Amino acid sequence: MIFEQIIAAGFILTTPILLAAMGGLVNRQAGIVNIGLEAKMLSGAFSAVIISSLTGSWLLAVIGAAIVGSVIGFLFSLTITRAGANMIVAGLGLNVLVAGALGFILNWSFNSSGTLRMSDTALLPKVLPEGMQIVPVIGKMLTQLDPLTIFAWLTAITLPFILTNTKIGLWIRATGNAEKVTHSVGIKFKNIQDFSTVVAGFFSGLGGAHLALFSIGLFNEGLTAGRGFIALAAFYFGRDKPIATALACLLFGFLDATQIRMQTVGLPPKLIGMIPYIMVLLALIISSIRKHQRMAK
Amino acid sequence: MYNSYLQRGLGFALPLLAAFLISAIVLILIGENPIKIYSMLVSESFGSSRRTAATLSASTPLLFTAVATAICFRSGAFNVGVEGAFLIGGLGGVFCGFILPVQLGILIIPIAIIFAGLLGGIWLYFPGYLLAKYEVDEVVSTLMLNFIAIAITGYLINGPLLSPISGNNVTPLVHDIAKLPRLLPPSTLHAGFILGLICVFMYSLWCNRTPSGLESALIGLNQRFSNAVGISVQKTLILVMVLSGIIGGIGGASHGLGQLYRFSDGFSPGYGFTGMAVALLARNSPVGIIAGSILFGALASAGTTIQLFSDIPLDLINIIQGTVMIFAVIELTRISFSRKLKVSI
Repeated sequence: MIFEQIIAAGFILTTPILLAAMGGLVNRQAGIVNIGLEAKMLSGAFSAVIISSLTGSWLLAVIGAAIVGSVIGFLFSLTITRAGANMIVAGLGLNVLVAGALGFILNWSFNSSGTLRMSDTALLPKVLPEGMQIVPVIGKMLTQLDPLTIFAWLTAITLPFILTNTKIGLWIRATGNAEKVTHSVGIKFKNIQDFSTVVAGFFSGLGGAHLALFSIGLFNEGLTAGRGFIALAAFYFGRDKPIATALACLLFGFLDATQIRMQTVGLPPKLIGMIPYIMVLLALIISSIRKHQRMAK
Repeated sequence: MYNSYLQRGLGFALPLLAAFLISAIVLILIGENPIKIYSMLVSESFGSSRRTAATLSASTPLLFTAVATAICFRSGAFNVGVEGAFLIGGLGGVFCGFILPVQLGILIIPIAIIFAGLLGGIWLYFPGYLLAKYEVDEVVSTLMLNFIAIAITGYLINGPLLSPISGNNVTPLVHDIAKLPRLLPPSTLHAGFILGLICVFMYSLWCNRTPSGLESALIGLNQRFSNAVGISVQKTLILVMVLSGIIGGIGGASHGLGQLYRFSDGFSPGYGFTGMAVALLARNSPVGIIAGSILFGALASAGTTIQLFSDIPLDLINIIQGTVMIFAVIELTRISFSRKLKVSI
């Protein structure tokens, strides 16, 4: 029973990270390290709650969140590709700016500090019937599956194909590997980079929508709790490969799900929370040392 | 290179103008008069000696984090880990402040500050070493280290270093003798401000008057050239990272011993990142760092009072800070919507 619960919770906690990581991965394949995923997730979550409450439709809310994320991603991209901004500083700045803007709107329009509770927010529906509960081990997880989780995993599975076998996928990877070369063969690499940042915004927006609308149906300033950075950690750890990144997300999701239970065993949750970051550090170190050794030979 | 004063001044003024313009639009949208609010901000931050003291007090941690950031940015090392060094140093300093025997008297303060600097230096030595030896991307490594620092300090103040008498997430208070003296008593302005100015001054001396200061600027301009003239890029990169950590750590100790007297959750509301905004705005110049720190200190201290007396949410300050960060790195002269590839020098 406890395993079923952990599997279900881990799966659900993976979804927002997975969505944002898929977007960030595409973005990095095109040569842009997106530190602003957190900001886009947060604004996605915020708009999802509002739209869901106003329209009563989870689908519109999800689409709205994706659009908001994409628009922010596009504007962010312009500062990098057209105005020469350093992507790291611009990303950190975006996080501060968006957190400030959302806090401002919350305070001013909704007269609340930190939390937005709205009436009649439509939550994400469950795809499979309750009866699936009888399936052993993963039964509970199956009954909890929501459309966004399925979409996230479909993306993770199809992305390797898209990146290697479609024109746009090849353009994206070519841009990330050698933008000057792509330019010389006539590909508008800046447009490709803009497109990839919009993709990152789109998926982060969806990730935010999942966070807000899976079960709680409200927005909180701390809702994303660094998940944008965990997503960053995941695609760094997965070396921009969709499947490896998705597995890293799954691992981080399960760590998140077990965090509270570990406490009873005597492991402090705060220290477990830092495992993803340590893993990325180790992965970075190992891959850099290997590269170094290859160069030395 | 930003060699002329005019260019530097413009580099400082333009992001600010953009930020104030954007926040003015926000203010107009909510039906407030931006000029009224801005003049209120000015009078709230510099209107009297008490208010000026509050502003300077709020700018104190930024002096440290901005210098710490600038040291690295000058050399082209993209260290975003000052926040982590500030936290680790802060906890280290506070730890000395309450664990050392009171009998040591005033000596506790230098010990705590040195210990904090040491911790901060060691903290950023790792990413520095990895960057220099194995070219491990310093942005990601220092970013990850920030989260690790938050986790470690969060764990320590909830476990081993938890204050026995108060709730959770705080250490015990430091001894009275370990508190940094206040400069203008009712206000919280403390000796850390002087220490911060000393750091800026030392930074300025180091940049302009020492060989290693020159070398570190050179590797920021051109690593291959520096290698060719015999500067050790590896050693210099490690040096700037360690220096950055030391200053960040000392900043944390100054904040802990001078302002809060203990370490608690939310010890730093992002001083490392505001410091980065200041360093960018100042283009690493010492005078700019002082001006920028005071400016952001003013925004923070006046922002709190403005929120009390009007309906304007404090989050406006974050909007300004975020805009400044983005506009500080936008190269206004290079904005182009053409498809031509600019030759980057």
